[in-house]
Amino acid sequence: MRRTARLLTGTALTVTAAAGVIAPAYAADTPELVLSPATAVPGTDVRVTTVACGDDGSATGDAGAVGAGRFTLAATGHGAEAAGRFRVPPSAQPGTYEIVATCADGGRELHGDLVVSLSPATSPQVRPRGSVKTGVGGALGPDPVQTAAGVAALAVAAAGGTWLLHRRARGDGI
Amino acid sequence: MRGKKRRGNTAIAAVTVAALCAGAWLLHGAAGVHAPPQPSPAEARAGGSAGRAAPALPPSPPDRIRIPSIRVDAPLTGLGLTPAGSLDVPPAGEKNLAGWYEAGTTPGERGTAIVAGHVDNAEGPAVFYSLGALKRGAVIEVDRRDGGTAVFTVDAVEVYGVKDFPDEKVYGAAGRPELRVITCGGGYSRSTGYQGNVVVFAHLTGSRH
Repeated sequence: MRRTARLLTGTALTVTAAAGVIAPAYAADTPELVLSPATAVPGTDVRVTTVACGDDGSATGDAGAVGAGRFTLAATGHGAEAAGRFRVPPSAQPGTYEIVATCADGGRELHGDLVVSLSPATSPQVRPRGSVKTGVGGALGPDPVQTAAGVAALAVAAAGGTWLLHRRARGDGI
Repeated sequence: MRGKKRRGNTAIAAVTVAALCAGAWLLHGAAGVHAPPQPSPAEARAGGSAGRAAPALPPSPPDRIRIPSIRVDAPLTGLGLTPAGSLDVPPAGEKNLAGWYEAGTTPGERGTAIVAGHVDNAEGPAVFYSLGALKRGAVIEVDRRDGGTAVFTVDAVEVYGVKDFPDEKVYGAAGRPELRVITCGGGYSRSTGYQGNVVVFAHLTGSRH
């Protein structure tokens, strides 16, 4: 199935193969381009992430193989992660398609496989593991509104004090 | 004439002292740590869950989450998994954006749907800042792309540490439509960040179309 599908991936793959850099993309256990879900039904969205483009690295994705065109992977602010999405066209045929992305910085080319299936994945659902990183402590600092109010109140006190001292110096009886 | 002036002086002196006290109190309070609210043990999971379960809805991706009691009204983006297998999170820069686990159950469908959002970002409080203040019995509404709204009722609000995170309890399968809403919580340390997650457990109790 993969073999036939690769034929479908067209130019992107041809160019890659010609450049002779195809091997590393399949050697690693974790793909450089992570597709979620990796098996998608036509008409649904696929999220694409990578950490291979460096800090604050964005990339241009190409899902032309499956007929979805180009998309952008923007830095998410979580380490070196960049993420983007595309929609599998409702007309997409079942098969395995190669999704390609090119790092904006350095032009490195990344690959990931998308399986298009007409029925939702029958394999047991992959569940997340562990805790979620949903905060950095930015709410823990001083409250800016309260600080401003405090400063304003002290300014009023300073003005009042100055006024009283001024009167006293003039012997206005305080 | 003199008496009038004296009264004026007394008034100014009173205002000065009051302003001084208020200023000192405000600044002292502002310098303290404003940690997000954390659930009390009373919100922990009881034996069973309150409220009847509504029949499951057909699958449909969600667009928006609303939790009126803590004034949450936020769009939802799709989330995947990190390379380490944990749930990814929405972009930290957008403070009023939550996410849902796209490869999992859609909210309203039978099973466990998962929603996550930030408690804060570098600028300050974010979408789920008040999640820890949610009470059992509170209502969570999820707008779906099919035009309907799934209505969930909160069963429990818990805090779990990063270590020994109860994956099965939080992400495990369910025989009825359930929802988990997750954000950061527990203690905070400057070196390791938040020490755990606040997890809201809810189940489907109704729907609107």
